[in-house]
Amino acid sequence: MALGKDFIRGLWEENPTFRIMIGLCPTLAVTTSAINGLSMGLATSFVLVCSSALISLVKRLIPDKVRIPSYIIIIATFVTIVDLYMHAYLPGLHQVLGLFIPLIVVNCIVLGRAEAFASKKPVLASALDGLGMGLGFTWALTLLGLIREIFGAGSAFGFQFLKEGTTTLGIMSLPPGAFITLGILLAVMNMIAARQKAS
Amino acid sequence: MNESVRMVVVLAIIAMVSAGILAQVYEVTSEVIEENAARALESSVYEVLPGSTAVNIVRVSPHDLVVDEPKEMREKEERTTLIYEGVDGEQIIGYAFVGEGNGYGGTVRVLVGVDQKTDQILNVKILDHAETPGLGSRIEEDGFRDQFKGKSVQDPLQLGEDIDSISGATVSSRAVSEAVRSGFDQASAAYKGGN
Repeated sequence: MALGKDFIRGLWEENPTFRIMIGLCPTLAVTTSAINGLSMGLATSFVLVCSSALISLVKRLIPDKVRIPSYIIIIATFVTIVDLYMHAYLPGLHQVLGLFIPLIVVNCIVLGRAEAFASKKPVLASALDGLGMGLGFTWALTLLGLIREIFGAGSAFGFQFLKEGTTTLGIMSLPPGAFITLGILLAVMNMIAARQKAS
Repeated sequence: MNESVRMVVVLAIIAMVSAGILAQVYEVTSEVIEENAARALESSVYEVLPGSTAVNIVRVSPHDLVVDEPKEMREKEERTTLIYEGVDGEQIIGYAFVGEGNGYGGTVRVLVGVDQKTDQILNVKILDHAETPGLGSRIEEDGFRDQFKGKSVQDPLQLGEDIDSISGATVSSRAVSEAVRSGFDQASAAYKGGN
């Protein structure tokens, strides 16, 4: 049951985007559409699961003083693997996400989980924690991207439901739209959390 | 083992294992990546030179490329113009070239197809850009790109003269016209010998 808790935690209670509010740079930058948010989330999830599991596996072998550089090398290795495979097999997506894939290395969710969880807990718990956090990040980014895509481009997951040429809220596709949407979503999430606590 | 020695050894081993894995992954993916890029450009050439069934790549350099000096060699390599020749059997349909212009969000790259017989532009395709979505990104729309069709190297190809800019996206529009202009001059001089 404890393992299930490790997994569930990242989805809601300690959701990296809505509750802990870390890793906001890619959150704001890539969520111009639902597909972009989803793919960025999944790429980050892959890195989180692999790096958390591996770091937990080798944690006893790494001297304390060089643990951060060691973690960064491990994380960077997985990120580069994702980057290369995406470039080769999903070139369209790779072009859109561009620089933000290599930047997963410095996403504080990944290093944060390595430092706070994987470096102390067993392998399976660490992998589940990474998966939970990754999927929590993924649904947050997908929701953000979906809302911005609906208002900014009149489409959902690339499916155009408004006639082409219809005036849309262009600001939603631009950086201000990311801040506005995230702000509103945070308010909604806080409201839900407050109600949960009260009841 | 001494603490500081252990630190160095562990970090070195992690780095070496990582490098080894990445070398393997790179080996597998680099071929696919290059193939994708080549195929993407080739399909773009078919788009701007309709009717072509094959693409020849022609390298045109201002001088011969056999130079002993590596530095000079690199300079000449940079000035080499790559021309994509669209052919249908024996017949040459036209040639295409890549032009670059400075946009609002970075370089705008365009591919321009030119008719072999009439020397007029057949089509312009935006290869990549980083312009503002909804404003500058409208350079991709047919209405803007179609203005270039039928123009030849003698035309001014300037905003406000024979090309209308997109309202609210003057810089992006100018980037495209500049890209076509400079690329056209270079390619036509290189390919047709300036006539």
